[in-house]
Amino acid sequence: MKFAPSLFEVRNLYFTRQGNEILKSITFSIPPGDYCAIIGPNGGGKTTLVRLLLGLEKPDSGEISLFGTAQEKFSAWNRIGYVPQRSALVDASFPATVREVVAMGRYASRGIFGFESTQDKEAIDEAMELMGVADLRDRLIGHLSGGQRQRVMIARALSSRPEVLIVDEPNTGVDVESQHRFYELLRHLNRTKFVSILFITHDIGVIAEDITRVLFVNQTLLLSQNPHEMIRCDEMSRLYGNPSHVVCHNH
Amino acid sequence: MLEMLDYPFMQRAFIAGLMIAILASLSGSFIVLRRYSLLSETLAHVSLVGVSVGLLLGFSPLWMAVATSLAASWLIEYLRSSRGLYSDSILAIFLSGSLALAIVIVSLSGSFNASLFSYLFGSILSVSNDDLITMGIFGSLSMILLLLFFKELYFIAFDEEVARTSGLRVTLLNFMLVSIIAVIIALSIRIVGTLLIGALMVIPPVAAIRFGLGFFKTTLLSIAIALVCVVIGLTLSFFFSLPSGAAIVLCLLGAFVFALVVN
Repeated sequence: MKFAPSLFEVRNLYFTRQGNEILKSITFSIPPGDYCAIIGPNGGGKTTLVRLLLGLEKPDSGEISLFGTAQEKFSAWNRIGYVPQRSALVDASFPATVREVVAMGRYASRGIFGFESTQDKEAIDEAMELMGVADLRDRLIGHLSGGQRQRVMIARALSSRPEVLIVDEPNTGVDVESQHRFYELLRHLNRTKFVSILFITHDIGVIAEDITRVLFVNQTLLLSQNPHEMIRCDEMSRLYGNPSHVVCHNH
Repeated sequence: MLEMLDYPFMQRAFIAGLMIAILASLSGSFIVLRRYSLLSETLAHVSLVGVSVGLLLGFSPLWMAVATSLAASWLIEYLRSSRGLYSDSILAIFLSGSLALAIVIVSLSGSFNASLFSYLFGSILSVSNDDLITMGIFGSLSMILLLLFFKELYFIAFDEEVARTSGLRVTLLNFMLVSIIAVIIALSIRIVGTLLIGALMVIPPVAAIRFGLGFFKTTLLSIAIALVCVVIGLTLSFFFSLPSGAAIVLCLLGAFVFALVVN
């Protein structure tokens, strides 16, 4: 019997920056279909961990494999969609329409001689429809609200039809209504489109209902496959090192 | 007015000028969007070192300008991407450093001659047939590379990090872009001059961006602005005996002010 390889498999990962130990002894794996939240205090190494997974930083030691392939040999980057922290902060005058930004997600797979194929056009239209930005296709990205820009950036990540979506602190500077729509969308992607989700958040309460796994990162890693147990107030207080009160809410 | 085209030197100046207008404004779009506008100015100053060495030692100033500009562009990109230095600081160091070096070399030659003056400010009389052939070969190569990697360079200008995670070879493409810019600048100094070529790269995209269009349309508009200004600038240069580079840059400034007022 064959098992599908993990999306991400990390073994004994160490990372230092300018002599400071940022991450140490990190080991975990994330199976396909997961809805995984990465939580932890500021400066704990959450974003660094994601950057290491994506090859944007090089670890001091340890192994990372993506879809069963060692990271240094991995080339199918279109299987991963990435929306970085503060990606919605775009220069207001940047000359890019919504359609042009979403189309960027297809560039790597088109190759240097590749013109936009019917399949590319369909994927771009589908991503814009899914994110509710199709009506904004000819608008400049810099002229949109924070919530609209955020949806465009996720549409760009989805246009490559990824199997996993990585989102770093998605709701920075976004209004409550947009946050609500965002979490609805993540649930929809995970449950009906079978896109695995890995996202960094500070909003611990909102992750309670949907997630299947929590990675608590604070230099080291604590993995929980029972998120509801993990976000109990006393457990959170112990992890964060100060009294915490967790409010579980429907966004 | 069209009688100016009866002169072979004006024909050469127009061919070279139009070629440079397209190349400079197209490549300039990427550096403007990356807040890297001073790269063109810096490489222009660096190419002045090559020109000075060429004039001093009797080598081709154009080829020496290409060589020094290319070497500097690679070093600047290496320092920016691999050594974590601030890009504006690196550019400031190279800009003033190369100018100082050029001045020392010129002073060693004993005189600040007329030949160097034409490289500083451009001269429509100085474009030879050999220059046109060189510009044609390297200009075509640069153009092909810019068009082939147009969409990738655009993605990098918009979000370098996400472009990297999508599988694009960002480091290689960045080195390619600065190399193309270095070559275009070195080729342009006959017409526009080392001190003014930066304007031809930066002003057309900046003016075009003011119209609030998408990237493809902005790039086309930027090229159109550069072409019109080069034609007007060269014409003014012919009729009023002005340095061609200065005349072109003043036209570009007029286009920028117009874009600013209209938008």
